[in-house]
Amino acid sequence: MSSNGNGADLLLECRSITKSYSGHVVLDGVDFSIRRGEVHALVGENGAGKSTLIKIITGATGRDSGEMVYDGTVVPMDHQRRDAEALGIAVIFQELSLIPGMTVAQNIFLGKEPLRPLTRLIDVRRMNSQAQELIDRYEFPLKPTDIIDDISIAQRQLVEILKALSGKASLMIMDEPTSSLTKTEVEMLFKIIALLKSEGISVLYISHRMEEVYALSDRVTVLRDGRLVKVLDKGEISPEEIIRLMIGHKLEEKAVQHELSPKGGAVVLEVRGLTSLGKFEDLSFDLHEGEVLGIGGLVGSGRTELVRALYGADPYDAGTIRFLGTEWIPSVKKSIENGIGFIPEERRLQGILATQSITRNIGIPNLDRIAPRGIVNVKEEDRRAARGIEMLNVKPPRPEQLVGNLSGGNQQKVVLAKWLVRDLKLIFIDEPTVGIDIGAKEEIYEHIRALSARGVSVILVSSDLPELTRLSDRVIVLRRGRFFREFRECVLTGEKILRAASGIREGDDE
Amino acid sequence: MNKKPIATELRLAIVLVPLMAALTILSPRFLTLDNLTNVIWSVCFIGILSSGAIYPRITGGIDLSLGSMAALSGIVVDLFMNRMGIAWIPAILMTVVIGALVGLFNGFIVAKIKIPAFVVTMAAKTYLYGIALVVSQGAMLAILEPKPFILISTGRFLGLPNPIYIMVALVIASQFLLRRTAFGRQVMAVGSNEVAARLSGVDPDRVRLISYTISGGTSAVGGVILASLTQQVFAAAASGIELDVMTALVIGGTSAVGGRGSVVGALIGAIMVAFIINGLNLLNVPNLYQPIAIGTVIILALLLNEGYLVPKRRTLSRA
Repeated sequence: MSSNGNGADLLLECRSITKSYSGHVVLDGVDFSIRRGEVHALVGENGAGKSTLIKIITGATGRDSGEMVYDGTVVPMDHQRRDAEALGIAVIFQELSLIPGMTVAQNIFLGKEPLRPLTRLIDVRRMNSQAQELIDRYEFPLKPTDIIDDISIAQRQLVEILKALSGKASLMIMDEPTSSLTKTEVEMLFKIIALLKSEGISVLYISHRMEEVYALSDRVTVLRDGRLVKVLDKGEISPEEIIRLMIGHKLEEKAVQHELSPKGGAVVLEVRGLTSLGKFEDLSFDLHEGEVLGIGGLVGSGRTELVRALYGADPYDAGTIRFLGTEWIPSVKKSIENGIGFIPEERRLQGILATQSITRNIGIPNLDRIAPRGIVNVKEEDRRAARGIEMLNVKPPRPEQLVGNLSGGNQQKVVLAKWLVRDLKLIFIDEPTVGIDIGAKEEIYEHIRALSARGVSVILVSSDLPELTRLSDRVIVLRRGRFFREFRECVLTGEKILRAASGIREGDDE
Repeated sequence: MNKKPIATELRLAIVLVPLMAALTILSPRFLTLDNLTNVIWSVCFIGILSSGAIYPRITGGIDLSLGSMAALSGIVVDLFMNRMGIAWIPAILMTVVIGALVGLFNGFIVAKIKIPAFVVTMAAKTYLYGIALVVSQGAMLAILEPKPFILISTGRFLGLPNPIYIMVALVIASQFLLRRTAFGRQVMAVGSNEVAARLSGVDPDRVRLISYTISGGTSAVGGVILASLTQQVFAAAASGIELDVMTALVIGGTSAVGGRGSVVGALIGAIMVAFIINGLNLLNVPNLYQPIAIGTVIILALLLNEGYLVPKRRTLSRA
């Protein structure tokens, strides 16, 4: 066994785990351990290396170097997903992995169904009764014969948990399990975690939500930029301390400090009491000409839903919007016609037409200009595409190139180009630089600044704190769909935003 | 890798030449006027149907009802002209409008009720066949009148059969619609990424409605041309033609999942399908075996389009 003195009570021990993707180091000599029967939280900013570490533990990806011992067994370098399952490591993913058309029992026992003796036929009655036993044990509001399609997201998460438990898991990994749950559902999940703990099952919990983390955890491991920062014991855990460790010395860097100076020009957008049930509630704010308004908040705080509603992509339930002084009920078509643009959260799923050329991608929101009477003016279409490619420095600069074959950064530039070749008054930008390289990132920042300088108003949603602080003139922080705090005329840091997003109330800062 | 890939249309045309050469060598009857006229008629029929059927296909759907729609259109135009005494031109126009309305109905169910196009148009294929049976009383009806109607397909202009002109006109119109209009851009966008298209101001439901309407309309045109050519109408007149049309589309490079397609490519596909069927006949391959050949061609065309069979670099360097 382990030579380490307390090896006996360690379920998982990782030593100097290193991993890099195409030359970029994402985990740099990380030590990490989980004790038997503890609830352990893993925290860090986006890109700190949390997901990579989880992937290595569950065998979804390999490690470059470092040792792993699980339950006294040395984990080999070619650790695979099914090996992890055999060891007793279960994962509940952000995207659920259930089969929608099948029943609860069928999903729980997928691939390990009880069979009739001497046959390969599934014993449905026994499968359902075994599922019922599991459900009864944890008092979950489920029936073995419920179809997954017909139950709520929270219930589906319970099925995932049962699926893992039916396989005799000794470690349950939950990847941001609360991002799509209501308050009562979160409470229920907490009860379940306590129950798992009482059965001696270790829980590894990855969340951005601070109060949940400190309420639940026995220990917290903080990662930053691919390195282990600190492991906090129960007594040391506080949200302030976790945030301080997550952000670290980056606070002192000039780049993340930003002097906010709200612009006082004409009001472009006036939002009053905007509400979309279950998404956001009673939001009111003004947006001025040429202003970059940053919207901060955790995943699930209603940021994306807010900008989608303002653009007209989704309906809302109550409240009023005024655009340039007149009553405004948005629709995508009206927005585009009136100089409003939208850069969606997920580039591949919502932004690009992968099988179409750069020209066609840039052309699509500009059909009103390149085909005003329904017939495409090819010269105008080519001219706009060429202008977009040049403005954004898209590489390769070939208009006929299919956008699906471009790099992530260049795809995002094309998405931006669609709107920059128009006369804009307002643009909503949601997570503009996720998964793109640093060079393209800086170029995109320049364009956002240039838009603002030209008098175009910008609403920027971002989980990248330095990005939000650098680009914004003013920042509103949402929490659980409600307005939580506004930052104006102060020196803004990522830490302040994160503290507000995590629900820490404090007096007005210096 | 950086060379511009050859257009699908050109690549297809290149394949067509050896196919014709082979048929010429293998069968002395291939290059005769009678035989080529036969081939041309079948190219015309498949070409007319493809020029509309391509729209649902590019949006990521499919219209399987076009054979039944074409047969029903023949029966309906006969009903209008010979039993209701309507003059031939309004009779044809009304028939095409009915075809378009049926397409609109298909499109409505696909776009608004969100039922997969495959199921919707499969059902339409069946009930349209049923309506055709009822209207024709299950009989094969001969159309001998009016003469101008018969001349639409049997007449010639500048030595070529009239349907060629109709087909070429439709292919050009359809290619123009697809390549040079805002609607064409929107069809491609919806097929490529519906969510992104919607966020860029495209109304995917409207695009789908129009696509199925066009497909219904061209099916009716094809049915009228077929009725005029064969001078007989019956419910099973065009049964199975949807497979030939889908084959022509696949060969012509229209993507099976949407977002890609060419009307000219589909026409070349139609020519190839017609030649292959004709070639099999000339080479005395029994009818029983022909579906095996067609099925094999579909699979080969799909593999080719997805970049299998031919190493990518070699295809490109031939440019």
